[in-house]
Amino acid sequence: MTGRFHSFFLLVTALLLFSCGEGEEAIKVSLDKREEIFFRPQVPAITYAYLPQYSHTESFQRHHRLVAYLAEETGLSIRQVFPDTFDDHINMFGQGKIDISFSNPFVYVKLANRFGARAMARIIEEDGRAEFRSQIIARRDNKEIQTIADSRGRSWVAVDPSSAGGYLFPLGHFIAHGLQLDDFSEVVFAGGRQENVILGVYAGLHDIGSIREGSLAVVADKIDIDQIRVIDYSAWYPGWVYAHSPRLPREVVEAIRDAMLRLDYAGNPRHREILAAARFIGFMPSDDRDFDLIRDLSDKVGLDLE
Amino acid sequence: MTKWGWTLNNLISRFFRGLKFSTKITLGMTFMLIFTGLGLGLMLSAMSSEALLEEGRKRGMALTSGLAFRLAEPILAVDFLQMKNLIDNVHTQYADVLYIFLTDASGNIVSHTFSGGFPTDLLAVNLDEDTLQPILLATEHGLVYDFRGRIILGENKLGIVRLGLSRSAMDAQINRQRLTSLLSTAGVVGLGILLSLWFARTVTLRLNRLRQSAEEIVKGNLDVHAGFSLEKNCWEIMNCDQAQCPAYGDTRRRCWYLAGTLCPDCHGKSYPHKMESCRQCLVFKHNFGDEIQDLAEAFDAMAITVKKHIEELTEREKTIARQQGLLKTIMNVTPDFITLQDKDLVYRFASKAFCDYFDLSEEDIVGKTDFDIFSRRQADLNYHEDRQILITRQPLTKEITFKRPEGQRWFHVVKVPVQDQDGGIMGLLLTARDISVLKKFQEQLIQSQKMEDLGRLAGGVAHEINTPLGIILGYTQLLMDDIKDEELLADLKIVEKQTKVCRKIVADLLGFSRHSHSVSEAVDVNTSLQEVIKLVEHVFFLNRIRILHALAEHVPTLTGDRERLKQVWLNLLNNAADAIGQDGLIYVQSRLGDKGQKVEISFTDTGKGVAREHLSKIFDPFFTTKEVGKGTGLGLSVSFGIIREHGGRITAHSPPPPQYLPMGFQPGETFGPGTVFIVELPLEHREAPRAEEGKGSTGTSS
Repeated sequence: MTGRFHSFFLLVTALLLFSCGEGEEAIKVSLDKREEIFFRPQVPAITYAYLPQYSHTESFQRHHRLVAYLAEETGLSIRQVFPDTFDDHINMFGQGKIDISFSNPFVYVKLANRFGARAMARIIEEDGRAEFRSQIIARRDNKEIQTIADSRGRSWVAVDPSSAGGYLFPLGHFIAHGLQLDDFSEVVFAGGRQENVILGVYAGLHDIGSIREGSLAVVADKIDIDQIRVIDYSAWYPGWVYAHSPRLPREVVEAIRDAMLRLDYAGNPRHREILAAARFIGFMPSDDRDFDLIRDLSDKVGLDLE
Repeated sequence: MTKWGWTLNNLISRFFRGLKFSTKITLGMTFMLIFTGLGLGLMLSAMSSEALLEEGRKRGMALTSGLAFRLAEPILAVDFLQMKNLIDNVHTQYADVLYIFLTDASGNIVSHTFSGGFPTDLLAVNLDEDTLQPILLATEHGLVYDFRGRIILGENKLGIVRLGLSRSAMDAQINRQRLTSLLSTAGVVGLGILLSLWFARTVTLRLNRLRQSAEEIVKGNLDVHAGFSLEKNCWEIMNCDQAQCPAYGDTRRRCWYLAGTLCPDCHGKSYPHKMESCRQCLVFKHNFGDEIQDLAEAFDAMAITVKKHIEELTEREKTIARQQGLLKTIMNVTPDFITLQDKDLVYRFASKAFCDYFDLSEEDIVGKTDFDIFSRRQADLNYHEDRQILITRQPLTKEITFKRPEGQRWFHVVKVPVQDQDGGIMGLLLTARDISVLKKFQEQLIQSQKMEDLGRLAGGVAHEINTPLGIILGYTQLLMDDIKDEELLADLKIVEKQTKVCRKIVADLLGFSRHSHSVSEAVDVNTSLQEVIKLVEHVFFLNRIRILHALAEHVPTLTGDRERLKQVWLNLLNNAADAIGQDGLIYVQSRLGDKGQKVEISFTDTGKGVAREHLSKIFDPFFTTKEVGKGTGLGLSVSFGIIREHGGRITAHSPPPPQYLPMGFQPGETFGPGTVFIVELPLEHREAPRAEEGKGSTGTSS
């Protein structure tokens, strides 16, 4: 009996002692000892920007390897910058804050027309083409929209007024099928994000949406893309293009273009990794004449690319 | 354990032993509650403190991670405004977030919430990527958790966000929780103490009642009530009206303790055999309490049962005492000798008569043997006789006689072996009754029977002889008429005379045996006495014998034969004169006796008296102490017969008792011891019972 009582007493005492312990050690620092901190200026570098059709993080993840490759291959200091919008991209190019622009053909035409941008290479899409087209999408359970003609009087969400695949290609396609902007109940822009268009249609906020082909795969891990049905496709147009600032020295442009053209998707695993992240499989040389189709489409839809 | 330890232990033990039971329970419960409450309270407090801190750390980590996620875009876009807005938003939103700052991949501080410079100490801590987050900083503003969140995109680190979360808010919350916990614990402990007090009081109240009841029982008061009264009794629960049931109306005992209850399921069983059915009973379920109540009720039942048994025992004791007293009285009063000896023949009891007879006290006898009381010879005889009875188990009956100064004594002795319950011999019982009187009566009875037989014989003989005697007398007288010869005539006269003597004898014999004729008339006893006294007074006077008489007046007449009674008086007076011879006194009395139912006439003389051994024979026919030729020996026998015929009795005492002597009687020199004959005659003549006849010959002799 006494032994049991002692055991109980010891247990309770041990618990008490255990309970009272803190067990954390603090490091002494002073918050009152202040100094002024200055931002260290960045090293001058060639700026590389991807037209912000996706979020910055998506843009970064797609292109930071390519940027690193180009810097490594050319020995130049190349830094990716992130304009917030298409206009921002255009403006930054004009302000000299972007030396190498990767943009859709419409923006390229604008940049070329306004700031003398010069095409240096076109990308080859994952389907092996250097062209791309748009998809007009609706919710699969929206039985009222079966053909492009059913779009009349509906709410249309597009990527951006400057988006080629997300607005201008489908607009040309609607015009070709006798549908003007006034025939839609509303035309809403999704801030330049392909994902927002898909999500807007998926959420039922809009009846139809227009996206660049291939964008559905981007949101495949976020939504059930089987709920989205492609109503129609636009015609093929020249794809995204790399252009350089007219201020960039010719040898630099050459070095970069050469580095781009050296990327071997099929034969070099490292190159394949770089290109896979950027969602295309290679480059082909390009010049400004490749984009006359775009200029024609702009005229057709009444878009001023000057 | 050390000496001091032992001493302390002893002191604690002594202290606890001296406490009341309720205090012990309360103290024990209090200690337990305090220890347990304090232990659990502190442990839970520590756990909850740790949980609160962990929650705070998680919250800080969540804030930091969220910020790191949201800061990726502005860092990529080098959007300082958005960065600033984001960290300021968090900083201002949460009061306990002391600071946030952001560094880019190059370590440049691109944004922070400090104003008036940056505390550069922060840049020296929490640098290691592998440090477990957060780290605790001790600052002028108290303890601060410093969280370090990496801004990562893929495998690329874009920057670091650091967030300082004040621990004072967490500590305040922890302290509040501890206070609450302490107060709750104190409240629970206090409530527990109150409950333990109530519990101890409840338990000890009943235990105290039990103790008081036990003390009352020790004092002898069995009328105790340790249990508590029931709210509902069994007959109320069962709606029972069987007043003959032992449980009915008994508010102190539970019915399951009682035997013979009339419950339908009890079947007359008693406790504890009926418990199996009682446990299913509604009454048991309603009234059964805990172990203490059970104990108290069992205690009450025991007290009542013990009381009942004691009352029965007391009653039996009284009965036994009464019977003992009665037995002792009987033993003391009974004239019989009663003794009880054990198997070793040691006296265990002796009746008072036995003690008195041997002039011993009870203490002189009890515990002793015959060898201690009687002579060696007598004790030896008794011992062997008693031993034989004990061995053979056969009772012994015998009559023994002792020569005592006051005369010979006869005892009827019975010795019986006493068996115990197992059939073993446990002792010897002796009873002895003094049958001396009985023996005397037996002798008198024999005497009376003898007289009866003698009378019958004499009467028969006389009757047979009377006729031939009449013929002899008749023919003798005829011959006397015819014979002239003087000589022959003289002879015939002798024959005639002797024949008349014979006829007189025969007449007396017939008188004794009542074979003579008698007449029934009114007789005045006094007159008949006076007539006879006058007749003999003169003759007696010649021999200087005086007759004194004291005859009671108003003696009523009785029915009888006057002449025959006068013959009795004459016989007795003659007998008295013969006993005196010369110079004496005869004192005649008559008086009413036995409440006027009889007349007693006594004849007292101052003669030579009658020897004791002759007293029983003086009424026998032909018994005489006179000289040969002086009397036939039939006078008293005839008187005996006449008196008996009158339904009376005649007794003789020698010497006479004083009341039969005249007033102021002075014995003279010539006077003998004297004799008194007492005649008792009933005023209404009837035959005396035969048993009474035996008394007729009683007499005393000194």
